[in-house]
Amino acid sequence: MTPSIASNLRSLTLTIAIAFLVTSFGVGYWTLVASDELSSDPFNPRLVSALRDRPRGQILDSAGGVLAESVRSADGYLRKYRDRTLAHVVGYASFKYGTAGIEAAYSDSLVGQDPGDPLAVWRARYLGERDVPGAVVLGIDPKVQKAAVDALAGRRGAVIALDPRTGAIIASVSYPNFEPNQIVDPATEDLAFQQVNGNVDKPLIDRARAGLYPPGSTFKLITGAAALENGVSPDTKVRVDDPWQADKSWGDYYVRSAAHAHADFTMADAYRLSENIYFAKIGLQVGGQKLAEYASRFGIGAAPRCDIAVAKGQLSNTGTLDRPTLVADTSYGQGELLVSPLQMALVAASIGRGGVMPTPHYANEVRDSAGNTIRTIAPGAAGQVIRPDTAARITTYLVGAVEGPGAFAFGAKIPNVHVAGKTGTAENPAGSPHGWFVGFAPAESPTVAVAVIIENSGQGGVDAAPVGGKVMQAALGR
Amino acid sequence: MTLLFRRPSEMRLLVWVAALAVTGSVAVAAAEKTAFDRSQLAVPVAFIVLAVGLHLFLVVRGFRGDQLLLPMAAALSAIGLVLVQRLASSLLANQLQWTLIAAGAFIATILIPRDLTALARFKWMWALLGVALLVSPLLPVIGREVNGARIWIGVGRVTFEPWEAVKILLVIFFAGYLEEYREVIAHPRRFGPIPIPPVPYLLPILAMWLFAMLVVVFEKDLGAALLFLGIFLAMLYLATGESFYTLIGIVLMLIGGVVVYHAFGHVQVRVDTWLKPFSEDLRFGAGYQIVQGLFALANGGLFGAGLGNGMPDRIPVVWSDFVFNAFAEETGFAGALALLALYLLFVYRGMLIALRAPTPFLQLMAGGLSFIVALQTLVIVGGNARLIPLTGITLPFVAYGGSSLVTNWILVALLIRVSDLTARVRGTE
Repeated sequence: MTPSIASNLRSLTLTIAIAFLVTSFGVGYWTLVASDELSSDPFNPRLVSALRDRPRGQILDSAGGVLAESVRSADGYLRKYRDRTLAHVVGYASFKYGTAGIEAAYSDSLVGQDPGDPLAVWRARYLGERDVPGAVVLGIDPKVQKAAVDALAGRRGAVIALDPRTGAIIASVSYPNFEPNQIVDPATEDLAFQQVNGNVDKPLIDRARAGLYPPGSTFKLITGAAALENGVSPDTKVRVDDPWQADKSWGDYYVRSAAHAHADFTMADAYRLSENIYFAKIGLQVGGQKLAEYASRFGIGAAPRCDIAVAKGQLSNTGTLDRPTLVADTSYGQGELLVSPLQMALVAASIGRGGVMPTPHYANEVRDSAGNTIRTIAPGAAGQVIRPDTAARITTYLVGAVEGPGAFAFGAKIPNVHVAGKTGTAENPAGSPHGWFVGFAPAESPTVAVAVIIENSGQGGVDAAPVGGKVMQAALGR
Repeated sequence: MTLLFRRPSEMRLLVWVAALAVTGSVAVAAAEKTAFDRSQLAVPVAFIVLAVGLHLFLVVRGFRGDQLLLPMAAALSAIGLVLVQRLASSLLANQLQWTLIAAGAFIATILIPRDLTALARFKWMWALLGVALLVSPLLPVIGREVNGARIWIGVGRVTFEPWEAVKILLVIFFAGYLEEYREVIAHPRRFGPIPIPPVPYLLPILAMWLFAMLVVVFEKDLGAALLFLGIFLAMLYLATGESFYTLIGIVLMLIGGVVVYHAFGHVQVRVDTWLKPFSEDLRFGAGYQIVQGLFALANGGLFGAGLGNGMPDRIPVVWSDFVFNAFAEETGFAGALALLALYLLFVYRGMLIALRAPTPFLQLMAGGLSFIVALQTLVIVGGNARLIPLTGITLPFVAYGGSSLVTNWILVALLIRVSDLTARVRGTE
């Protein structure tokens, strides 16, 4: 018997109906489930569409100064940025090139749909009623920011300062920078974006949070902490003879002392004179595994939780310290280490706060159009990363590294305040070494921590430490 | 007066279609910044006159068939016009002209041939005509290459995608051929559970299909290849009920897919943008269109941004490739679901007509034609929603494009004729 076409028609129709059902689920997934994620994608043009038709919220500094606002022009609203030195932090909201910085991270808040106000989000999404946006207030302190800009004085590099008690970032400079007003202006956007995007100096990158450099001697803060908590006595004298290798298996590989030293060193001496061989030796004594553990505790190799995307850096290419020469090199901050200035500022802040690492944040609060606070951004501490007594001891050494006889970081001194700090010299394949300074003040109970990097400036302390000093001085209001 | 009530359901439903056309057009116009221009109403009004004209034509002819297909097709076409007005208003006049031509094609199909079953007798002619149409874009003078695909023919300013018409010819040919030989094909000798098909009888179909595939591969039109293969398998199944054939067909399709993937760069790009459109190197390149399309869907939410208030115009070529996403962005998941339901209802009605048809040929033809609409909708919406790789198939009735619109209205006319014939043979409504 021939199978009836009728019954085949029925099963085909059923199959089609099932396929329509599956397709409906697919459409439902994108319109309802994935909606939130895609709607906040920085490249979604809808995020910035409001730019032309409606004003976008203001971005303010901690003193209430306007950093970004929407200004009415003939063909809709245009975004205006008031401080080019904060271009990387404030970012931009371009119709064509997407969003960056605070403009990206607080995009919802800036169009009046802060997640802290679910009712406004719901009304906007389902009823199309949009609130007049309020403002996002940053932790940036205009006085400290100006001091940082003046101190860096147009040299290629970055300065970042934060409050160790709260994690609020109070100054952030990255140079070279770019002109955000040109990137958001339809008349100039294409040329401006091409120019900055194609520039070999990479002005679009915020060196303060996304620039990655070898930490050089500033990493000794971590090596010292690992040593103190793993049986190394700080007062035991360690013999240093330049050049040094652990044994013959290192071949023609040696650790070099910057001062070509031939002497016995305590930990205090080693911090003051930044002696590489001392730290290489105690690093090997502690071992690669422990050293890697402490680096990870201080957040090297993992992006800090932060309201803007930040770099995570690396301990080594493989993430482990699996050979003695790499352990030795890492101990004094070379090897395959890469860190951002923000990460080093957090390391300094944790030591200043007795081992408690703060969670960094750029914005302090979101306000509605009437000026009421919708949401305060206070993420709290990330955790206790070392013991308080370890932190206190390292702080003493760091004060010595600024104020002691022959100290490298003398340039960071501030009258009548004890400053803790450490310089660093980051050897790098691309030319002369970068100069580092990390520090905090007042040493006993810090209200500011800072990290400075000046690219290709030669020996670290000479150039970077005074920049750190001036920024901390501005933060302390002296 | 009595004329108005010969096909009462059709008339009543067309009132709703008219409301849809006018409100849609007004909503789009209202969302624009420029002042409302009354002449913009000319398009929906002209469309309504056209739709009612078709209804009256069927009434005058004393048609007794299905009363739902015409309003449903008209509703879809109305949505299409509203979306063209929304997304590419400069093409609106063009689309209206094509709608007029499509209505003409509908009337012509109702009138010719006088005897619908005669179509089966000329099956080899349809096959030859299909082959000729498929090859035509490759010919000099009339062949046109648009966006890297040589699938157009053109005379002067008028261009046409012949494969749109070929799919209908293919269905008629398959229906005629399978009616004649299905007894043989449906009773294969079996080797255990595995049926051994009587190869000689399948040869003409296979040859026809292979030829279509080759041309399509040379013309770089992936969507058409998928569609032809789908029609082939579905009709073979309808005629024989042998799901094993379908299984082999799907396996062959997958193998063919792997082969074309490795052989053609443009296929690899399609698959890559399907798998990871958001990757850094694709989101501003080959994946830009689908990423923007997904952004549009995401903006839709439950009830949508409202007609004219979304930003679907950020999707490149939105009016032909991504109308579904534009509709979903502005009417939400609710609107998208309603649109899909309309298509499913259309297909269901078509299948019902097939089920009641008096001869196997008419059953197979009506089933195949309905299946075209189903498969096209599923393939393009699936591509738009990133369930399957994106292909250049058009959303029936709604997407901008003349060839597709004309062919689809011919398809509606054929289905209505089958139902009319059924009603006459059975002597019922």
